[in-house]
Amino acid sequence: MSDWIGMGSTPRTPRPELKERVLARAFNARPMGNLWGLAAAAGLVLALAGSGVLWQRAERLSQRLAATRDTLDLLRNPGTRVIPIPVVVGARTGELTIFADTVSHRWLVTCHNLAPNAPDQAYQLWFVTERGMRIAAIMRMDGDNPMVLALDMPSGAGKVMGVAMSVEARGGSAEPKGPMLFHVDL
Amino acid sequence: MRAREESALAELYDHLAPWVLGLAQRILGDADEAEDVLSDVFVQVWARINQHDSSRGPLVPWVLSIARNRALDLLRKRRRWSRKLERVAGAYEVEGATALDPHAPGEAGVPGWPVHRAVHQALEALPEEQRHMVTLSYFEGLSHAEIAQHTGTPLGTVKTRLRLAHQKLEDSLRDLKDWMR
Repeated sequence: MSDWIGMGSTPRTPRPELKERVLARAFNARPMGNLWGLAAAAGLVLALAGSGVLWQRAERLSQRLAATRDTLDLLRNPGTRVIPIPVVVGARTGELTIFADTVSHRWLVTCHNLAPNAPDQAYQLWFVTERGMRIAAIMRMDGDNPMVLALDMPSGAGKVMGVAMSVEARGGSAEPKGPMLFHVDL
Repeated sequence: MRAREESALAELYDHLAPWVLGLAQRILGDADEAEDVLSDVFVQVWARINQHDSSRGPLVPWVLSIARNRALDLLRKRRRWSRKLERVAGAYEVEGATALDPHAPGEAGVPGWPVHRAVHQALEALPEEQRHMVTLSYFEGLSHAEIAQHTGTPLGTVKTRLRLAHQKLEDSLRDLKDWMR
């Protein structure tokens, strides 16, 4: 009812040229239905993108689960040796533990409480082999967080007889040059 | 219109543009702004015609409600309240003489004129204090509290007068229908 009240106003005849302009604007404006269509399409794209993200996350979780199972298998293996090695840097004593799988010839190495490196330095782990020292890993410790490494034995170097760790330049070194933190025969 | 025939919108424009423009100019008091509203209204009508439910009411009030809302939005947006309030009283005096004049020269041939006369007569039939408040509410977009403040009338009285006015208008205008086919 109340919307009829607008008819109480005095009508004003629009300028003749206004009609063409108004109608052109109306016809050129995008109908709301198309906007809803665009919104629906955008929603579909987002849903697809979302499902893609979920699939990637599921894939990553699957890979992490497989890696965890592999680690557990290594730890449970009766042939795995556990070799704890104290690491003393200054007044701080940390620990490096090697879980050496003698069947698959892999090592799982954990590091706890190692002193953080100087900004231009890194810890470098060495395999002591029949043919000399081989690089096992370069570990840049910027904080106190524990570190876990999975290492395969070096190929073509003969039997691994021991392990050593030194402090080297940040980018690592082809052979030990810095102070040796430990050298352990296995 | 629902078939989205462009000729239908052109025909609707011929029938309603004078009323939309008149309503917008009545609310805004500015010819240029009123033309902007006219343009906006027909863009919205064309875009939203599927939202109009003919079983719930005629097309003309639906279009006029779009026009009123758009004009009031513009009015509020441009913060003209103070100036509007200052001239409300004067506009009301003018309203009786011109805006609701069913014999305004040169406009009697506009389609829908009989409806205009019916609405005019229904408004004229209201007691003056009720008509004044309907004008403030509908054309100025004032809330009940603002009307009470502006007129120095208790809020309860404002609500009562508006309720009575709308009941009377509903009785008077119940049989109105769209005049175009």
